[in-house]
Amino acid sequence: MIKVINAILAILSGVLGSLLFYYVLNKVVERLPKKWEKRLKPYVFVGPAVLLIGFFLVYPALRTVVFSFANNDSTAFIGTKNYTDLLGSGEFVSGALLNTLLWMIVVPAVTVVFGLAVAVLADRLQPRAEKFTKSLIFLPMAISMVGAATIWRFVYESRPAGTPQIGVLNAILAWFGVDPVAWLQLSQAHVNSLLLMVVMIWAQVGFSMVLLSAAVKGVPEDTIEAGRIDGATEKRIFFSVVVPQIWPTVITVFITVLITTMKIFDIVYVMTGANFNTDVIALRFYTELFTNGNNGYAAAIVVMLMIAIIPVMIYQVRHFRRQEAEG
Amino acid sequence: MRGMALTKSVAIVGAVTLLTSGCLSSGTSSGSGDSSGGTAKQEVSIMFGFGGDQTQGFKDSLDPWAKTNNIKIKYIQASSFDTQIRSSVAGNNAPDIALFPQPGLLKDMQKQGKLQPLNDVLDMPKLEASIVPGFLDAAAVDGKRYGVPVSMNIKSLVFYNKPAFTAAGYKAPKTMDELTALTDKIKATGTAPWCIGLEAGAATGWPGTDWIEELVLKQSGPDVYDQWVSGKVKFEDPRIKAAFASYAKIAQTKGNVFGGSKSIVAQAFGTAANPMFTKPAGCFLHKQGNFVTQKGFLPESVTAKIDTNVGVFPFPKGQFDTVEGGGDLAALFTKGDANVTKVLKELTEDPTFGAAWAGPSDRGFLSPHKDFDVSKYGSEITRSIAKGAYSATGIRFDGSDTMPAKVGAGSFWKGMVAFTAGQQDMATTLKKIDESWPTS
Repeated sequence: MIKVINAILAILSGVLGSLLFYYVLNKVVERLPKKWEKRLKPYVFVGPAVLLIGFFLVYPALRTVVFSFANNDSTAFIGTKNYTDLLGSGEFVSGALLNTLLWMIVVPAVTVVFGLAVAVLADRLQPRAEKFTKSLIFLPMAISMVGAATIWRFVYESRPAGTPQIGVLNAILAWFGVDPVAWLQLSQAHVNSLLLMVVMIWAQVGFSMVLLSAAVKGVPEDTIEAGRIDGATEKRIFFSVVVPQIWPTVITVFITVLITTMKIFDIVYVMTGANFNTDVIALRFYTELFTNGNNGYAAAIVVMLMIAIIPVMIYQVRHFRRQEAEG
Repeated sequence: MRGMALTKSVAIVGAVTLLTSGCLSSGTSSGSGDSSGGTAKQEVSIMFGFGGDQTQGFKDSLDPWAKTNNIKIKYIQASSFDTQIRSSVAGNNAPDIALFPQPGLLKDMQKQGKLQPLNDVLDMPKLEASIVPGFLDAAAVDGKRYGVPVSMNIKSLVFYNKPAFTAAGYKAPKTMDELTALTDKIKATGTAPWCIGLEAGAATGWPGTDWIEELVLKQSGPDVYDQWVSGKVKFEDPRIKAAFASYAKIAQTKGNVFGGSKSIVAQAFGTAANPMFTKPAGCFLHKQGNFVTQKGFLPESVTAKIDTNVGVFPFPKGQFDTVEGGGDLAALFTKGDANVTKVLKELTEDPTFGAAWAGPSDRGFLSPHKDFDVSKYGSEITRSIAKGAYSATGIRFDGSDTMPAKVGAGSFWKGMVAFTAGQQDMATTLKKIDESWPTS
């Protein structure tokens, strides 16, 4: 009971407090000469937010960069040793780094292609069938990544030959009298990593489909008709008329999925625990920080991840601005 | 003008923190309770890693005592203990007492200066007389003890399906040679002798490390074991290699393990023994800690009558006969608080502590006190395991739990998985584990 009252009090004082804070600030600025009032007013309202973001985002990020040049318990600087150690270890480069790269190459592309295919094909169905299909494909979006990973672990589950196979894939093999395959152990050619990517794609195609479907429906009918009158094939219409008009959405979906992919952690953690050469950067960071207690390595890994994400972010912001300017 | 002052101070604080971001925190930042002295907290917080029935058993044992002594206990159940204790300590929010399942992690905290030595807090001669030999020193650093066991488990055990085992005319082996002979004898009948499972979610691989530790103890003895655990004997040492070879002989010989050696790493450790209880039995032997007898591991139809269904024999001796075990070690974060000390004393010094945890239902708890009343245990099988442990000449704490976490909860686990699955040969596995050993 006390907790509930405390929570309500906290919310009230928080909301009222910030209202009062801005009210007082506003009053103060209004007393200044007109010229100064005009100059200062925007900062009065934007300033606190910028400061808070600085506190909770920029400052920790800077600290992380600093820690990445320090030793495992952040007590002494050791130069770039964390970076050279990590990049010099084959285990990190050909393990976590390479796998993350594979995830980045495969997942966003496949997600966009599948999403687009579903969006376009469902567009041609009866309205009711379209709704049903889309809901079905969108459904996995409602499942948390950990939940999805647990479900897919059962899909890939392998029991000793001769016992009932509860994993779908191995149950199918068992029908044909084939011995069970330990799917998640197939590290040759990163097959198991690909199997993990399937989970991510399964979970993300819904998102991609919804956005792309809206874009496809937004393509003006007359442009398509014009193409038809000119005698273009369906294929030509799709690639030369529809795709260019939905390209901005394609890019947005691609980048959003790409960033999610770069941060992938839960699927690998739940399904293989980085065994069988399925390690990825975010999981490696977690292991270094919480299992190995090595702040230096952990910081260096996230800094590398941050550096890798920055160009993508810049591209997206630019892309977004251009879009706004055009729209 | 209140607003102005606020923004100004916020701006100043922001500027100062940004400027200081160039410095590092001094490594000697103290534990949460360093400032307190001569206090007596009303509420004592205890963090621990076990769950479910174990938690209830722990509460059942401590609550009545706490009530009569007018101390409130705050139980912090950490489903991922290593992560949670690290972040609580890093956030200066350490519990008063923590029960560490891993001495390695405990020593890591000690190295950071977060723990209080217990030599002057607890009655050491009394503990030395009461606790099973070898356990008090699991968390000793430079002659000072930082962790004292509250509970214990015994790992040097082989379980079997009692009716099937007896019907087939097999006898519990007394030596490693007899064990090998029994393995071959069972295999000759066309049934796999062993059930082994290494899968344990994020901790996959640890049951494999238990095998190696067991074999090192039995083949090379406690002295080599201690040196190995502390890093003085390398994994590439011939004596450790011998243990890996013996393990490979059991786990990787065709027909030795139910489902074949490839399936070992995919089998959950908790249910790996289930094929032992099918008809006909899928396997006859399963090496695991005593905790496998508690609810949630073996099939319910088996645990319902555990004493008639399940038999156990100690892992047979080789050159040596040291027993492997594990447990929860109480460590102290808060210094000089009367009530915290009182709770710690109750947890560790009282040989009757845990009676309500041990029975009447079997919750997989063993008291580390030799003078604990064994009649309190919930089943005959646990009673016999406890009796065996209390009369053992030497017990060693789980080696992987004692090694630095980077090895013991990292490369050793992962190495066992890759090695058992046949994805990595022995030489590479051992080399990789040695390379991962932290240098500082």
